[in-house]
Amino acid sequence: MLFFTLLGESFRFAMHALRTNRLRTMLSLLGVTIGIFSIIAVFSFVDSIESKVKGSVQSLGDDVIFVQKWPWSFDPEQPWWRYMLRPVPQFDELEEVQRRTTMASASAFVVHTRKTIYRESSMVENAQVLAASHSWQDVKTFEIENGRYFAEMESATGRPVVILGAVIAQALFPSTDPLGQNVKVFGRKLQVIGVFKKEGESMFGNSLDGQVVIPVRFARTVMDVNSEMLDPFIMVKAKPGVTNADLIDELAGVMRSVRKLKPEAEDNFALNETSMISSQTEVMFDSLGTFGLFIGIFSLLVGGFGIANIMFVSVRERTGQIGIQKSLGAKGWFILMQFLSESVVLCMLGGVIGVFLVWIGSLILFYTIEVDLALSLSNIVLALTMSTLIGIISGFIPSYSASQLDPVDAIRTNI
Amino acid sequence: MALAKTRKRPVLLSIVTIMGFIFTVFQFGIMMMPSIRKVGLFAPALYGLLVTITFIALIGIWHMKRWGVEMLLYVAFAKIIYLSLIDELGAPGILFLVILVAGTLPFYKRMDRNL
Repeated sequence: MLFFTLLGESFRFAMHALRTNRLRTMLSLLGVTIGIFSIIAVFSFVDSIESKVKGSVQSLGDDVIFVQKWPWSFDPEQPWWRYMLRPVPQFDELEEVQRRTTMASASAFVVHTRKTIYRESSMVENAQVLAASHSWQDVKTFEIENGRYFAEMESATGRPVVILGAVIAQALFPSTDPLGQNVKVFGRKLQVIGVFKKEGESMFGNSLDGQVVIPVRFARTVMDVNSEMLDPFIMVKAKPGVTNADLIDELAGVMRSVRKLKPEAEDNFALNETSMISSQTEVMFDSLGTFGLFIGIFSLLVGGFGIANIMFVSVRERTGQIGIQKSLGAKGWFILMQFLSESVVLCMLGGVIGVFLVWIGSLILFYTIEVDLALSLSNIVLALTMSTLIGIISGFIPSYSASQLDPVDAIRTNI
Repeated sequence: MALAKTRKRPVLLSIVTIMGFIFTVFQFGIMMMPSIRKVGLFAPALYGLLVTITFIALIGIWHMKRWGVEMLLYVAFAKIIYLSLIDELGAPGILFLVILVAGTLPFYKRMDRNL
């Protein structure tokens, strides 16, 4: 109990010292404020971008393999022209893939292009038109807010029907219900049968908000869905319990047999998975975080030296007072705690102001350019921990020196 | 300032302690490395605390206090356990701790018992 009373008393001494030198207190915590601000601002920025990228990658599907011409991560030893010579996946190959795979729960053929979508006098220019086979609904995660997905018969016969993205629907039908209405794409009238739920922006431009989806069999009547220019691909979703690696192994064999490749021939297709993007972005974000860390560390180092310097000044100013306290029976640790709590409070104050500035900055960014910079709990904990520890590190030497002062010599010191 | 009389510090101990101070400052940066941050909410805080205690121990050794060496031994042990638990224990980290402990332990008997 006595320990806590003395601890509280030493804390009160520290607070009194900080209050009496307000300007000095503000100036000395500035270094820590800048350090914490720069570290937490960079970490918050990196964390926000990382979570956005992860969300976008997850929306592609964790358990989906993309059979494509181009790989998402290139082998540096493979000459680029070998990739160029590869054929794109064909619509007819989908049927073979569906027939021969045992580990896939669903697979779909997808191709997209950009077209202007008309509705009476209004239009949306350069909208993404996605043509997909019926089982796309089993491979891709989405929600339809209004209406329905294609009926099996509509997909099989290639009926001119369309599902609109939320942004497109809002642009073409601002005040009316789009269901049952017609839009014009490829010079043909298509009936709107559904509207996707708004997804928000995506880092890879794969949000359905600005897309329209049509049956691929209808798309075949208006464009060449196997065209190299459109870069078609097959999406294959793994059965529950099947790993992506196992599915890739099976798909490699299936695609090789579908394309009748000789045993010695190289694969002329790429089997891509979202983890390839995740691992690449993870390396990038780690490097960004480390870069930010170095900037912050140097700022904090300067801030820490500033605090240590001011604490030495503080000890020197109060040497006489320390002498009196010691001669009245104050223990060394009481003096140590007194100065240590002063430096910790100084640094914590700097840390809190730094975090507050990041929060203000995130609000400004959100309301001016709509950038969502999330200040996470882990970053707040990190900031407060760092500032406390810097307070201990930079204040310990001056505090320890103060605690070791000889009371007689200290009282004699005349400052 | 009028400091209480302290025992004379051997040159080798001074060198080891200064090296320790420099390494500790750099180690402080490790607590913010992405690999440590990913372990958990309080993982950087715990690591930072261990680094801070190492720093305090070095101050004790600098002032020729036995508690400095004792604290260093405890914290070195705790740091090895912590780093191996989060799978971040590397040769440089162990080497640094070994040099510190091996460089300070021989002078233990010449150090002051008091705080």
